[in-house]
Amino acid sequence: MKISTKKIWILGILVALGLTIYFPGHQFARAHVNYQTGVEDHPLSCLNCHLYILSTGPIAKMVNEDYYSPINLAVSKDGSRLYVVAQEGNALITVDANQNKVINKIGVGELPHSVVLSNDGKNAYVSNQWSDNVSVIDLSTSKVVDTLQTANGPAGLALSADGKVLYAVNTYSSNVSVIDLETGEEQKRLEVGNNPTGIKLSPEKKLLFVTSRRAIIAPYGDPVKTEMTLINDSSRRIEGFKTLESAHIAENVAFTPSGDIAVVTLVRPKNLVPSIQVERGFMMNHGIGIFEQKKDGRIIQLLLDEPNAYYADPFDVVITPDGKKAFVSNAGVDCISVLDMDSIRALITVSTPEMLNSYANNLGVSSRYVVKRIPTGSNPKGLALSPDGKKLYVAEQLQDRIAVINTESMETISTIDLGGPKKITVSRRGRILFANAGHTFQNQYSCYTCHPDYHEDGLVYNMASKEMGRNLTNTQSLRDISKTAPFKWNGKNQTVYKQDGIRFSTVLTRTEQFSYPDLDAITSFILTGIFYPPNLQYNPTRELTEAQLRGKAIFERTVDNTGKEIPPENRCITCHPAPYFTNRKLADVGTLAATDDSILFDVPHLNNIYASSPYLHDGRAATLEEIWTKFSPYDKHGVANDLSKIELNEMIEYLKTLSSPDYYESLKKEIHTENTSN
Amino acid sequence: MRIMKITIKTSPMLKSVILAFIILSGLTGNMERVSASGSPKTGKEISKASNQSSPKETSVKAVANDSKPMPVYGRWKNFTTRDGLPSDKAYAVRINGNQVYVGTHDGLAVYENGKWRTYTTKDGLPHNGIVTIDVSEVTGDVWIGTLGGLSRWSGGKFENFTQLNSGMPNDLVYGVCCAGKDVWVATGGGAGHYDTNLKKWEIFTEKNAPMHEPWTYGLSAGDGKIFIAAWGGGVIEYTTSTKKFRDYRDPDGEMEIDLLPNDGPVHDITTGTSWADGKLWVSSYFGLCNYDGTKWKGYFDHDSGLASNFINFIRAEGRVAFMCTDQGLSSTDGTNWVTYKKNDNNADGKAIVTTNGVKKEIPLSPSISHNFIIGVDADKDFIWVATSSGVSRGELLK
Repeated sequence: MKISTKKIWILGILVALGLTIYFPGHQFARAHVNYQTGVEDHPLSCLNCHLYILSTGPIAKMVNEDYYSPINLAVSKDGSRLYVVAQEGNALITVDANQNKVINKIGVGELPHSVVLSNDGKNAYVSNQWSDNVSVIDLSTSKVVDTLQTANGPAGLALSADGKVLYAVNTYSSNVSVIDLETGEEQKRLEVGNNPTGIKLSPEKKLLFVTSRRAIIAPYGDPVKTEMTLINDSSRRIEGFKTLESAHIAENVAFTPSGDIAVVTLVRPKNLVPSIQVERGFMMNHGIGIFEQKKDGRIIQLLLDEPNAYYADPFDVVITPDGKKAFVSNAGVDCISVLDMDSIRALITVSTPEMLNSYANNLGVSSRYVVKRIPTGSNPKGLALSPDGKKLYVAEQLQDRIAVINTESMETISTIDLGGPKKITVSRRGRILFANAGHTFQNQYSCYTCHPDYHEDGLVYNMASKEMGRNLTNTQSLRDISKTAPFKWNGKNQTVYKQDGIRFSTVLTRTEQFSYPDLDAITSFILTGIFYPPNLQYNPTRELTEAQLRGKAIFERTVDNTGKEIPPENRCITCHPAPYFTNRKLADVGTLAATDDSILFDVPHLNNIYASSPYLHDGRAATLEEIWTKFSPYDKHGVANDLSKIELNEMIEYLKTLSSPDYYESLKKEIHTENTSN
Repeated sequence: MRIMKITIKTSPMLKSVILAFIILSGLTGNMERVSASGSPKTGKEISKASNQSSPKETSVKAVANDSKPMPVYGRWKNFTTRDGLPSDKAYAVRINGNQVYVGTHDGLAVYENGKWRTYTTKDGLPHNGIVTIDVSEVTGDVWIGTLGGLSRWSGGKFENFTQLNSGMPNDLVYGVCCAGKDVWVATGGGAGHYDTNLKKWEIFTEKNAPMHEPWTYGLSAGDGKIFIAAWGGGVIEYTTSTKKFRDYRDPDGEMEIDLLPNDGPVHDITTGTSWADGKLWVSSYFGLCNYDGTKWKGYFDHDSGLASNFINFIRAEGRVAFMCTDQGLSSTDGTNWVTYKKNDNNADGKAIVTTNGVKKEIPLSPSISHNFIIGVDADKDFIWVATSSGVSRGELLK
């Protein structure tokens, strides 16, 4: 066969052209990926990044799925029905507990959290954390029949002993709404511990125990202290506070049937020592707090961890009706720890106060009361026991299913598929990795441990330094950070790939770094799957009050109160422009400490800033006010010393209204549409 | 009738002088008692005396006017550091069920089951000078105003608000008042409103309210309104439903004489307000007045049973107002008066009852612990009085 000269020429040109494009193109791609990842051997696959970090549009819809993500559940009095809160499905799923089959899905509000059943079993109450309300569901018709207003971010729910009042624990506003169920009106709000979640009425039906996740805000160096709140059910008033020392993230609480003990889940952070010591067991412990209910009862902390094996992120706890066993879901290691309550009682009875104190740091004690670890699906969260205590139901949040465990044999006997998508998307896989401690030395903690709710834990850590007290780092939120690069307070990480790549394993997890597919997945989740809650506390109507508008004008001003022009670099708006309220540059705001390396600070984003106390890179400002009343004496953090207290208040009121970037994008569109139509 | 009245310029210097006078009165309180009485009673003696019922005191039923009798208190019991108070200088008192809270110069004292317990900065208070106390009827939280900030005492925990860590106007908190979910404070830097539900502060000064200057001394709530005693500004009324202010000023302005009686507040320098039974009571350093919604009425020491025109604090309970003056405690229903005074030379004293213009003195043994009165609170059966030299408790004589 003869090939014409012309064709050879064309082929030659095409090859030459291809090579001309390929080599520089490849070189460019290589350089691009190297820059993005901070390494030189990350695979060159455009899709891995550019497809899976899309969060909007039809392609993003194609590659992502809508999961149910069960978080909590309740069992009917006769044990025939399970009511499962599908956190991301915005639904309450009714399950036939005899057939292990889903009966129906009842739509509720945004991001539901918990469910309780009325004493007569006719109604279910579901807290909607992103709607600031509670859905009242008539279980006979499976319809929402009423919506009860709460404060900000309702989570745990409990009924009063007489069933006439519903207590809703408001996580974001750190209070409890007391709701009269006859009128449906919120009677009052009781101020409780920081970032509360769980609530239970004691068996003698006198006190309610409310757990808190965040510690009391205190200067770095003070031990972590977290308050549990007691509410008197008769007076509907605060009875008192109990303090957990050196612990936080108390998600949930359970009482023994006799009421002699309350058990809470907890995490013991070692934020005062360099985090680099993780391989010495010095970063996180996970355990329970035992609160004796008698007068002057002791508070004892026991670990769930063992030598060389940690049981990260305990979430929920339930105790069997005979009071013999407690089950704790360890969300970060996909298992249920089974505790022998008689052994715990015996241990605390024979131990001296000194011994009891030592148990909080003793990995060798758990073998005396942990009788089994039951493996589960991904990310076990809420627990519920059947009325006879023979079955334990586990909400496997990232598996979209319920595990059924025989409490006597302590084996999983079945699982209930809630009907979510079967496909595990890249972002979902990233979330599973994020919530799992498997990538940290001996499972000591997951990303979620320091970023509960994918936000931040309110603590300051001694990061990336071998010296005590150097380079303190206030944990930053991960909500919608896709367009806020660079990362870290010193801005050294230009991408999440770099942030979570090799440096992450060197400094934090002290184990093998994420494989590249895992790194791509976790980055995909961080960049696309974490959203801001709506700012219903300070910006509920999307219209600023007059005071907030005046505050906005101060935030955006170019001249001070004397009429003098403020240099551009000293204006709030220069460094913090909408929609992310960061110019993504480095700045000196006069807060570099003697213990810091000489750095400039990455300008942080300010969306939902009201929910991120403490403030500044080392958390020295307990409130927004303190940024200017205490830590900007020379106006280096924007010109503010000329402001009256009223003006400063108004500016802070405006700052508290700052909402998600989407909100500002939609405002921009609205204004554009208005202008166009005019 | 023409009433002489000296106009006081509202200079900060003067305020400091008066404040210093109040504090110094406290400092010299003990000295005065010792030097005046010569042989002061011991704590035990006082306690013993207070437990004895005086036949003269129990005969006071006769002083009742035609309609409702004025309450008269006797069987006084006095408390000092010897009884467990952290300081004899008491600035505020508030009754809350079976507890009594006393604000002193050296901390908060709580009286319960016959015992005192003290709380100071070591327990979490922002300052030991406790000047004002109120209790939220909604939540039961106790709000404590100090010379170094405001504190919410709830479930045994003090949560502190200062001008540095919050939207509080100023750390000198002279008055605190709970109204539903709202807490109001009168401070040296303006009045402050804290919405406990929304956790939001508002500040009101001469910049955004009809005040003469930011210095505010007291406030009270009633009839859907907040009444602020503002230095040099008379009474500032804030209607919570409309969020609108109006002020009540002395029509005589800067004049040194009061041309017309009952023409408004007796002076623009007001020290306290209290609303009860449909009536607003206003105290000043120059007399007392009340307002029933249409008419003002003034009262002075020379034309009524008022112990002195220099009134530090006022609290109205039902139809009766109690005035804390520099020369004793007075109470009135607007017509009849009962004034309690301690003798200069011993622990005894008297109740001066003025009924329909007729005065009658009832001996008291013992009496209130000091005549410089700074705080008062009364419930059904008892009255508690904070003085510059101890705290006194009187029983309602029936």
